Amino acid sequence: MALSGMRGLSVFISDVRNCRNKEQERLRVDKELGNIRTRFKNEKVGNIGGREFAESLAPDVQKLLISSSCRPLVRKKAALCLLRLFRKNPDILNIDGWSDRMSQLLDERDLGVLTSSMSLFVALVSNNHEAYWSCLPKCVKVMERLARNQDIPQEYTYYGIPSPWLQVKTMRALQYFPTVEDPSIRRALFEVLQRILMGTDVVKNVNKNNASHAVLFEALALVMHLDSEKEMMSQCVALLGKFIAVREPNIRYLGLENMTRMLMVTDVHEIIKRHQAQIITSLKDPDISIRRRSLDLLYGMCDVSNAKDIVEELLQYLATADFAMREELALKAAILAEKFAPDLSWYVDVILQLIDKAGDFVSDDIWFRVVQFVTNNEDLQPYAALKAREYLDKPAIHETMVKVSAYLLGEYSHLLARRPGCSPKEIFGIIHEKLPTVSTPTIPILLTTYAKILMHSQPPDPELQNQIWAVYSKYESCIDAEIQQRAVEYFALSRKGEALMDILAEMPKFPERQSSLIKKAEDTEADTAELSAIKLRTQQQTSNALVLTDQRPANGAPQVSQLGMVMVPSTSNADQNAVDQRVTQSNGTLSVVDPQPLAQDHAPAGDILGDLLSPLAIEGPPGVSPQSEFNGVPSHEGSVGANDALALAPVGDQESTVKPIGDIAERFQALCLKDSGVLYEDPYVQIGIKAEWRGHQGRMVLFLGNKNTAPLDSVQAVILPPSHLKLDISLVPEIIPPRAQVQCPLEVVNLRPSRDVAVLDFSYKFGTHLVNNKLRLPAVLNKFLQPIQVSAEEFFPQWRSLPGPPLKLQEVVRGVRPMPLGEMANLFNSLKLMVCPGLDPNPCNLVASTTFYSENTRAMLCLIRIETDPADRTQLRMTVASGDPTLTFELKEFIKENLVSIPTAGKPPAPVAQQPQPNNQPIASSDPGALLAGLL
Amino acid sequence: MISAVIVINNQGKPRLTKFYNYTAVEQQQQIIRSIYSVLCLQPENVSNFIEGGSFLGPDSRLVYKLFATLYFVFVFDSSENELAMFDLIQVYVETLEKCFSNVCELDIVLNYSKMHTILDEMILGGQVVETNSEKIMQAVEEISKLEKETGATKLLSKSASLLWG
Repeated sequence: MALSGMRGLSVFISDVRNCRNKEQERLRVDKELGNIRTRFKNEKVGNIGGREFAESLAPDVQKLLISSSCRPLVRKKAALCLLRLFRKNPDILNIDGWSDRMSQLLDERDLGVLTSSMSLFVALVSNNHEAYWSCLPKCVKVMERLARNQDIPQEYTYYGIPSPWLQVKTMRALQYFPTVEDPSIRRALFEVLQRILMGTDVVKNVNKNNASHAVLFEALALVMHLDSEKEMMSQCVALLGKFIAVREPNIRYLGLENMTRMLMVTDVHEIIKRHQAQIITSLKDPDISIRRRSLDLLYGMCDVSNAKDIVEELLQYLATADFAMREELALKAAILAEKFAPDLSWYVDVILQLIDKAGDFVSDDIWFRVVQFVTNNEDLQPYAALKAREYLDKPAIHETMVKVSAYLLGEYSHLLARRPGCSPKEIFGIIHEKLPTVSTPTIPILLTTYAKILMHSQPPDPELQNQIWAVYSKYESCIDAEIQQRAVEYFALSRKGEALMDILAEMPKFPERQSSLIKKAEDTEADTAELSAIKLRTQQQTSNALVLTDQRPANGAPQVSQLGMVMVPSTSNADQNAVDQRVTQSNGTLSVVDPQPLAQDHAPAGDILGDLLSPLAIEGPPGVSPQSEFNGVPSHEGSVGANDALALAPVGDQESTVKPIGDIAERFQALCLKDSGVLYEDPYVQIGIKAEWRGHQGRMVLFLGNKNTAPLDSVQAVILPPSHLKLDISLVPEIIPPRAQVQCPLEVVNLRPSRDVAVLDFSYKFGTHLVNNKLRLPAVLNKFLQPIQVSAEEFFPQWRSLPGPPLKLQEVVRGVRPMPLGEMANLFNSLKLMVCPGLDPNPCNLVASTTFYSENTRAMLCLIRIETDPADRTQLRMTVASGDPTLTFELKEFIKENLVSIPTAGKPPAPVAQQPQPNNQPIASSDPGALLAGLL
Repeated sequence: MISAVIVINNQGKPRLTKFYNYTAVEQQQQIIRSIYSVLCLQPENVSNFIEGGSFLGPDSRLVYKLFATLYFVFVFDSSENELAMFDLIQVYVETLEKCFSNVCELDIVLNYSKMHTILDEMILGGQVVETNSEKIMQAVEEISKLEKETGATKLLSKSASLLWG
């Protein structure tokens, strides 16, 4: 009994035994191996093989596929195996005569083998259809056979339809050929298609319905592709029109999708427009997939003739649409309004309505664009100003509406002067009413508006002037640098009287340029439905990060001459675009309010960019300053402790009373030297951090703990990474339950040496308080160091092989915190710079070595030599060498920061702040933190 | 090309996962989680297609069908016809039905490898091999016969070793 399982084997053995000579024996073994191969190879080869594997095995698999003696099961798998190999290495089928064989394969009677062969064929023609023209008639034959239900075994009909999969595949294959030229073949094909289009009915059985419609939709796609006689095309549209009204949601979905596709391929606009009402109804479908499709379709079919209807429909829908779609809806409505506006005043109406109805979802680009239009079209200005004035009368309006109407009224309210309620004083009054309700970024816009109103009130109205001056003097000491600067400057300017006219003259026209909205839409045209809020937000995040890193050189430049060489801002294409956009946006207003004369020539880049139309720059300074100061002013470190604490305090300090527990800067410094600890703590939240570093990669886990018995709402953690770090944060839940801790893992990759620091923008809502903190993350340079002990034999040749700048840099550092040599050695070791005793004969000197890891530099040895002066402990000479100029410079600056600074920042900053820092002073005074410190 | 076949129950527990492109296990889990989070929010009587661009990568779609407690999910790209994929799910389930007669979730949990065998006879490397459930069953039966035979061989060798060793 047991032997039955091995009958094959015993037969084989006895056969081998019975062989008379070696030759026969080999033949028998080869035959057996062949048997084994045919059974197993096909499945395995495709899955494990590489390129060479594919080359050497492809001929065998081809043979199996073509051979008529093989079992269909084997041939099927051979076809798919070949497809798999072809994907790995297309050359294996680029051989003479393969197309003829393929053509023979398509004659196959067995439908299983034919389906697999058709899969292979689709892949081949999608790669290169030229070689396979000879197969085209065969495909049409297959279609004829299937459509007429000739010679189809019962088991291959699925709910009465002859193998729908094969039909679909065959029609897919036909779509890869640009056209069908041979008239008789063409006729045959169209006859089949006609049969499919006409013969498909909606039946009771769901499965049958699905199968028949699968074929039908593919047939529609093929008809669209072949762009046949108009007659058939309109038949298709009529069918689709029927589909989008049926009950079955799948069919409705596909109907809408195919209609959208049809818009792109052919000129059937007019016929599709007849279904506009039905499509608009689909916009209210319970299924979001269908709503998205119909939105896409409406967007695609919009033109001048129906723009008004469609946009109005979209606006109406906006109020009830789900949140996931609102942003996309708003953007699409804005684009359509701009593209197809029958007149510009309608465009202004639409955008203002849009802001009014869905202000939260209207990105800044949209209102910038309307401002550009109004500025460039004089006829439009009084109308826009009037509209803006009307909206201000509403009891509650969105902040974006405040921005846009304040801007428009500032520029053009004088055009309304004769109308009731539009005197400068009244306009000022109604705008000023909104001031207490708006957030920090909007206030600068309002301040500008006041200045413009003041300028336009001729003859001067002393009462209005006093009111506005009072506002300016109130904001003169505002914590926000942008607001403060504007308040101070406008106050000074408005005392100039006549000169004010020149400086605050009307905005010049914007240069004509492509709408950034349309550009944005084009970028995402490929997947129109995917222009989601998440995506937009990530785009904004990257540009934020860019502003951060981009500003660095401008701030740091005065101190460090080499900085220009080192701080190359990332120049990838996308970044470049973003920079261009910012810069062009700022151009327009620069000429109007030039901060240069008042803000002195050391104004950091952020302030120059900080014009009306550059929201990032407006928001920039609070977030940027701690960072740029930290990096750019190493020798100013003493006061950094104090400044940081101030600048890092919640931005909207006035509105929140949540104070951090412990010093944030101190916690950060401690975390720079160790891998776990508390990053931030306040009465409600504790953020802990735990990190692991290996080479140029690291993994940090943020522990967000809710300390309270109430849940924390609207939790947001966004990382603003510097350009040299790749940081991926996993999603942070929006709500942290009471007394719960959430872990957010964070992958870090170091791309190149830099001392820039990543910032975690963390905010949450507790009760009505919105608490926002910008925290530096301890992913600093020394985390990517690995201490290494170097012997004298290794050290000196290396040291000598790095002759001088830029690979080896030397600097005399003054103002060093005095410490014994032993303590300095400890400090070095804690920074992962391994002190190598005995290398330098002079006992006052210190030699250290380490390996730095980044993606650009890989592992790179760094050597450091410190020569101290026993007579004066506050100065020393430092030499740093490595194989990469950037690394050498960054490491030198990094060590310097640590030698000069006080890592345990408990001491009062006063003594160090007294150090003469003449050239640093102006920079510091442009920084809000420093300014405030100065005021105190 | 089909990039994944996933069966999840309505509690979010994956019962069968098959990825046709190399996907790290963590990523697979992430994908399954996000698919489930979308599926469990789908109301009744909506279409069975979901665009997967946001969580499955560009140009990917997902078609699902709910049978009792199980979601059958196929992930594929634009080179496949949606409704054809939908039908394929039906074929798969019909084949399972033939195999287990009155198939339920427990059958699937207990006969995990059989699920895979059936699927492998239908889809190979992301392409449809066979759509005829009779033929699929034939192949599956052949394989299980082979498996039984090898099982017998194992038994034999064990007893043999006992005898001789």
